[in-house]
Amino acid sequence: MMPSFRSLAPVLVFAILYAAVSLSVTNSYYQLVMTLVLVWAVFGLSWNILSGYTGLISFGHAAFFGIGAYTTALGQIYFDLSPWLLIPIAAMLGGLAGLLVGFPTFRLQGHYFALAMLAYPLAILYVVEWLGFQEVTLPIKRDNPFAYMQFSDGRIYTMLALAMLIGTILLTQWVERSRFGMALLAIKQNEAAAEAAGINTLVWKLRAITLSGAIAGAIGGFYAIVLLVVTPQSVFGMLVSAQALTVAMFGGVGTVWGPVIGAVILIPLAETLNAEAGTRFPGIQGVIFGLAIISVILIAPEGLFWKVRDFLRKRRSTSQPEPEKTTPAGVAHPMAAIAPATAGAPARVSPPEDIILEVRGLSRSFGGLKAVQDVSLQLRKNAILGIIGPNGAGKTTLFNLLNGFLLPDAGEVLIDGHNMVGRKPHELCEAGIGRTFQIMRPFLRMSISDNVVVGAYVRAKTDLEARKLAEGAIARVGLSSIAHRMAGELTTKELRLMELARALASQPRILLLDETLAGLGHGEADEVVGVIQRLAKEGVTIAIIEHTMQSMVRLVDSFVVLDHGAVLMEGEPEAVTRDMRVIEAYLGKKWAAHAQH
Amino acid sequence: MLSIDNLSAGYSAIPVLKDVSIKVEAGQFVAIVGPNGAGKTTLFKTISGIVRPSAGAITFEGADLLSIQPSRRAHLGIAHVPEGRQVFASLTVMENLEVGATTEAGQRDWKRNIERIFEWLPVLAERREQLAGTLSGGQQQMLSIGRGLASSPKLLMLDEPSMGLAPAIADFIFDRLIEIRRQSGLTILLVEQRVAEALESADHGYVLEAGRVVLEGNNQTLRADDRVRRAYLGM
Amino acid sequence: MTQFLEGFLQALVAGLLIGAIYGLMCVGLGLIFGVMRVINFAHGDFMMLGMYAAFYCFTALGVQTAFGNVIGPFVAILLAGPILAVFGYAVHRTLISRVSGTRTSLLEGEGHYAQLVLTLGIALILQNGGLIVFGSVLASIRTPLSSTAWELGPFFDVSVFVNKARGIDAVVSLMTMTLLALLITRSRLGKSLRAAADNPVAATYMGVDVDRAHRIAFALGTGVTAIAGGLLATNYPFQPFVGLEYVIVMYAGVVLGGMGSIIGAFWGGMTIGLVQQMSTIVLPTQLQNAAIFVVFLLIIFFRPQGFFGRLVERT
Repeated sequence: MMPSFRSLAPVLVFAILYAAVSLSVTNSYYQLVMTLVLVWAVFGLSWNILSGYTGLISFGHAAFFGIGAYTTALGQIYFDLSPWLLIPIAAMLGGLAGLLVGFPTFRLQGHYFALAMLAYPLAILYVVEWLGFQEVTLPIKRDNPFAYMQFSDGRIYTMLALAMLIGTILLTQWVERSRFGMALLAIKQNEAAAEAAGINTLVWKLRAITLSGAIAGAIGGFYAIVLLVVTPQSVFGMLVSAQALTVAMFGGVGTVWGPVIGAVILIPLAETLNAEAGTRFPGIQGVIFGLAIISVILIAPEGLFWKVRDFLRKRRSTSQPEPEKTTPAGVAHPMAAIAPATAGAPARVSPPEDIILEVRGLSRSFGGLKAVQDVSLQLRKNAILGIIGPNGAGKTTLFNLLNGFLLPDAGEVLIDGHNMVGRKPHELCEAGIGRTFQIMRPFLRMSISDNVVVGAYVRAKTDLEARKLAEGAIARVGLSSIAHRMAGELTTKELRLMELARALASQPRILLLDETLAGLGHGEADEVVGVIQRLAKEGVTIAIIEHTMQSMVRLVDSFVVLDHGAVLMEGEPEAVTRDMRVIEAYLGKKWAAHAQH
Repeated sequence: MLSIDNLSAGYSAIPVLKDVSIKVEAGQFVAIVGPNGAGKTTLFKTISGIVRPSAGAITFEGADLLSIQPSRRAHLGIAHVPEGRQVFASLTVMENLEVGATTEAGQRDWKRNIERIFEWLPVLAERREQLAGTLSGGQQQMLSIGRGLASSPKLLMLDEPSMGLAPAIADFIFDRLIEIRRQSGLTILLVEQRVAEALESADHGYVLEAGRVVLEGNNQTLRADDRVRRAYLGM
Repeated sequence: MTQFLEGFLQALVAGLLIGAIYGLMCVGLGLIFGVMRVINFAHGDFMMLGMYAAFYCFTALGVQTAFGNVIGPFVAILLAGPILAVFGYAVHRTLISRVSGTRTSLLEGEGHYAQLVLTLGIALILQNGGLIVFGSVLASIRTPLSSTAWELGPFFDVSVFVNKARGIDAVVSLMTMTLLALLITRSRLGKSLRAAADNPVAATYMGVDVDRAHRIAFALGTGVTAIAGGLLATNYPFQPFVGLEYVIVMYAGVVLGGMGSIIGAFWGGMTIGLVQQMSTIVLPTQLQNAAIFVVFLLIIFFRPQGFFGRLVERT
């Protein structure tokens, strides 16, 4: 997918301006600084691809950088190879390192991941020192400087670095717009929801770290060529990882321009201070970076870019009249066309055929607690089943078992007769199970369309097809008229519908809805209930967990009542809500006993 | 003693309590019942300060509770026995009680309180050196109550003490609670799912549904009202 | 054979002695992580400051003249503890509290990320600021004890030498550990800290000021690690970047001991010390630290909950 001119223009403008400025610099030290700014910008961008987009903070990117640097340096010293060849090799090794590191490390949660990533470069550092590569100097090649990328004019290095930066920016932009970037963002927002929406989170994370490692390796190699000296500390040290992180975080996480902005501001500052005051204050560089990190995380945790953009957005919107957020009666809203459920609606006839989902003897315990005990139930095609029960009855655990987030201790989950136990959530999504979650985590800065399209990737082969599926899903829930609006501006009802649309984008046959009506007022709940009923008529089978019984009794065809993890009874709403056992489960024994008189 | 006026509260974007007003007079036993998701636990969390309300006021003995830091509210005399017991699992029974007595009043009355707590809940005395996490559900509930009592409270708030317990044990705990009240005259605010048990001993009851008070009254009036059942089961 | 046995026992003793100090060091971090669930990347650098604080107390502030070369260092080291505790308290109050505690407890994973990054920034400032203020010249706290040793044995031709300085270091470390343990288990403050660690919401219900508990835990943890640092300084010369070398040791010890267990952190540190010293039997000395990394990574992958964890899991 070719980037449009609109997005290419800033890149070209930046490149031309930067080239012009650097060509006018004659002092060799400042020429070096101009080059280094670009080097750290590329390094920051590589960090961004993994950590900025997925949210998995890597404190060890120096590992890839250092591998690239040493590959290039040693390759030239021992094998007399040209950097033009070595830098691509460094990229490959960096990518391979990323893959090797990612595979085991992605199993780790949160701070364990960060600690492990921190450990890798430091461990490699010790090994490299032990191997004797304390200081590696590249030999000067006077006879064929071009072949060995050795130029006397520092500005040529700047041009090369600029080319690498442009390449990385274009690559990042392509990633951002494609399903690669969207998948990574979805993982950052809510990994569980992404899995449930059909995204194979492990594969995408591995792809991200491989690409990230490759870029870091390439620029590490280039760094070695520019400086001509490589020491373990200068490429594997903690400051190196910290710089990539700081540059990206300061400028803006998860965006192409962030690391560039960060590098352009911080590197000249640090280098100049180092040059001017470095002898009196050795280490001033580190102090600057430390201060930068602290101010960023306290004041603008997502970086300069986002802070400025949000500020500009706010100013623009206050000067314009606010568009109506709620749907006034006069606006032709597709929702108005859907008649909300009324108590007098005729019961839907669902012939006893086509059992689409069958659960047999499902059990799951946590320690001594039996969360789900020997639960069996059947979902009929096009039916709406309500799963109810008092607090702690095991309802969400049941959904997690159906969805692949938990493995049952016993029992089977059969879809079209095939046992799906043991499959991962994204595989179940592919098989046709969609799910919404109690706690929503939308991409606040992106439009409804972008939020929904993530759910379509499991079904669509091309990004274009995915967009079409997303549009269809948005129409089904009635949000087409505001599909471009940012998620951060939506009401709770609209957010719930968006969540529903994301689940629908994968074209599920079965929908598991977890407290979709929570937080909605009576009128809003009615509207959402109407949407759900329409979906069922269109052929989606629905299982729904809810506390708001008022809405449920009009929505569902039948109830399954769980108590203490076991099925208490099933049946139609009328019968269930008057059944003694159910009353007892909800209101207590004494009440049930009294009510019988 | 406690006055909740037009309180609205929730979590991030999701409103849970809507315009709730409840009164508890000194010496009263007030029960709040209602189905799940009605906002009962959110109400307690707002009183204790873990949740900040979006609108409304809470007054305790004349003081504006909302302007007081959460960890200070216990020192005013409000004891919160949380949902799910929430004992300090890695501390012993005795240590749990000692932490309960962190309040100034609790420190002052420690000797007297610990004697009475052991008298009312003898299992705590028997197992005082046992790690709280290894106690059974019922024992933990008693510890949680004892911990609340150790603070020398004026108001004892209990959030679903029967949850997750076998009915027989829940009944036992209820009996203990009634006995404690009889002997100490403590003001009690109880949230329960088991309606009849809650209303039986209460002076006054409120029915909470979908974040609003839909019914209130005393035992007699509520017991006969089918609207209570409908609040739970929808029809 | 006897040579091997002697070498083995010597390494074992060395491991135990340094393990005692590592244990104290890890306990400081364990206290912070256990009570506050805060990742503190700068902990090694607080230790570095502790080393310098002890150094300056000893040389420049008159402790050496007042107490001499034998007791003096230890007085200085014990003084460094409270100094760093105050510093830690201030750092927490101004910076760390903004990304931890009750303010962020509702943010789930978000809080951790900010803590990691913030403390990384603090680490950078302390390391490089230290370089500016203290210079890069290696410093150490000299005591004549470090050049003499006690001889255990000979038993059957085998003797083990215990360096006097290290021996006393280990004793001081254990004493500090014991005092800390008493504070944590017996005092009212200690019980409040443990309650705040166990269940901060319930602790707030009881009237415990959890934020204050965090500040105190942070100050205590910093002070304790500073003392450990000072003890290390009697044996090994140090410079402003020494913290980096020990960060992984500290985390390996805390993770090995089970994050959340303060006593476990001590045993974890002890184990790391043993691994480090005993690995020299099979590995060249330069790879000692690499061995620690390998152990660390192995633990994280195969047993992230550690070995000495609490008897009862936190709910």
